[in-house]
Amino acid sequence: MTAETPLAKVPVEAANDSRANVLELDRICLAFGDKQVLKGVDLDVKEGEVVVLIGASGSGKTSLLRCINLLNTPNSGSINIDGEFIFNVDAEGSRRPAISQSEVNRIRSKTGMVFQQFNLFPHKTAIQNVMEGPVIVRGESKAEARKEALRLLELMGLGEHGEKYPRQLSGGQQQRVAIARAMAMHPKVMLFDEPTSALDPELVGEVMNAMVDLAKSGMTMVIVTHELGFAFEVADRVVFLDQGTVAEQGAPEEVLLHPKHPRLKSFVGRFHESADLLRPFLEARIQEEATEA
Amino acid sequence: MFDFSVITSNAGLLWDGLLMTLYFTVITIAAGLVIGLVIGLIQLSTFRPLVLIGQIYVEFFRNIPLLVALLWIYYAFPIFANLNITKFWAGFIGLSCYVGSFYAEILRAGVQSIDPGQTDAATAIGMSYSQRMRRIILPQAFRKMIPPLAGQSIIQMKNTTLLSMITVPDLLYQASYISSFTYRPMEIYTAVGVIFLILLVPLTMLSRRLEKVGGKI
Ligand SMILES: Nc1ncnc2c1ncn2[C@@H]1O[C@H](COP(=O)(O)OP(=O)(O)O)[C@@H](O)[C@H]1O
Ligand SMILES: [Mg+2]
Repeated sequence: MTAETPLAKVPVEAANDSRANVLELDRICLAFGDKQVLKGVDLDVKEGEVVVLIGASGSGKTSLLRCINLLNTPNSGSINIDGEFIFNVDAEGSRRPAISQSEVNRIRSKTGMVFQQFNLFPHKTAIQNVMEGPVIVRGESKAEARKEALRLLELMGLGEHGEKYPRQLSGGQQQRVAIARAMAMHPKVMLFDEPTSALDPELVGEVMNAMVDLAKSGMTMVIVTHELGFAFEVADRVVFLDQGTVAEQGAPEEVLLHPKHPRLKSFVGRFHESADLLRPFLEARIQEEATEA
Repeated sequence: MFDFSVITSNAGLLWDGLLMTLYFTVITIAAGLVIGLVIGLIQLSTFRPLVLIGQIYVEFFRNIPLLVALLWIYYAFPIFANLNITKFWAGFIGLSCYVGSFYAEILRAGVQSIDPGQTDAATAIGMSYSQRMRRIILPQAFRKMIPPLAGQSIIQMKNTTLLSMITVPDLLYQASYISSFTYRPMEIYTAVGVIFLILLVPLTMLSRRLEKVGGKI
């Protein structure tokens, strides 16, 4: 597969485009005990941009993603979401200014997160999972939230499954409910942590298709994934995280086909294998594009 | 040989004792649940001094024999604190605090058995600590907690017999009183045993069933 693969994708904007940053991470440092996991990560994400985060296992991808909504609290750095600081602590450890817990909760709901293990609420039906945030956090009426939840579930191809409990759904269906649940808060940016790596291979495609649709609809996304074929087709930018720092980043063609960093080179060695595995999925999309056109 | 008339002619006293036993079982379980909820949540907080207070409470009551606690509260505490305490209050406080420490442990273990991913997911959609607890964590934890709660409550009913040692007229106290003037301990204590079995065997079987149901969520 080459860069000329005739797939529609979100156009890569010029580097100096005028879209606002939805996400600004500045010198994020995070340690667990003595172990420095993130060593000053900078990352800006523009509105509508799809950023794919790659890196070896243990390089800090999950940690970085969890810092964005403060599931992990960094030791220092700043995080600005849609113009508001959710975290701002300089290297000396002084907070400027203090941000209250309720502010943190409010700002963090401007991000939506999708987890590797889905983490659906098992005691609630699919539709109740999706309604939970709007009703409890945003105080929407149940009728209103239900209508929106149904719309989102239908968007995810789960219109008939709203009344089912998570245990009655396949992994791929559960993950799509999880995407709908995150989308229900109308987030400014969606965060995905290896959303397909807990799935049986035959269920990967359905979740990826849902994510492709999301990207096409203009959603801002930060995605951790090992599916490099997906990264190649959907990402505006690929960021390679290595030992807690951004080691290389750029357009997918650049990073995945012409890597410079030695460890990135060996990492993308798996790329062609991965692309082969994804061929059926990609071909299905090509056909879809063709019938649409 | 077995003289049932001893039981029938003193049925009124046994009945009074049984009501006292049931009364203490119910009120100390209710108070214990409140204590257990408070102490359990304290132990689950992230504020170290609070956690420590909760741990001290739990270890204190779990490691002191209940009988010693009851005797101490009734006979020794009034002298230290220079106040009067009725046997009913002593029994109520002792039994409630005691079972509360076990309930607290059940709550703590139940909450900690919930996948941390649930807290992550609830937090990520912007829920506050209390919203997470109320809506996501406790409802799941309670289902797992029902069997151990039922088991501990059954033990609690049996433990109320210790009230007789501080002269609260419970079922066992009435039995020893009846046998003191009828000289028929065999019939009386057999009757007490049978009454407990009749009350508790069905409850134990129910809690077994709950265990099966609670296991599969
Ligand atoms: N809660 C934690 N406590 C201690 N160490 C952790 C914790 N979470 C992650 N780590 C460590 O941080 C490093 C980065 O982990 P992670 O962010 O999960 O990497 P990735 O997602 O890229 O595989 C690993 O070495 C991991 O062991
Ligand atoms: Mg990870």
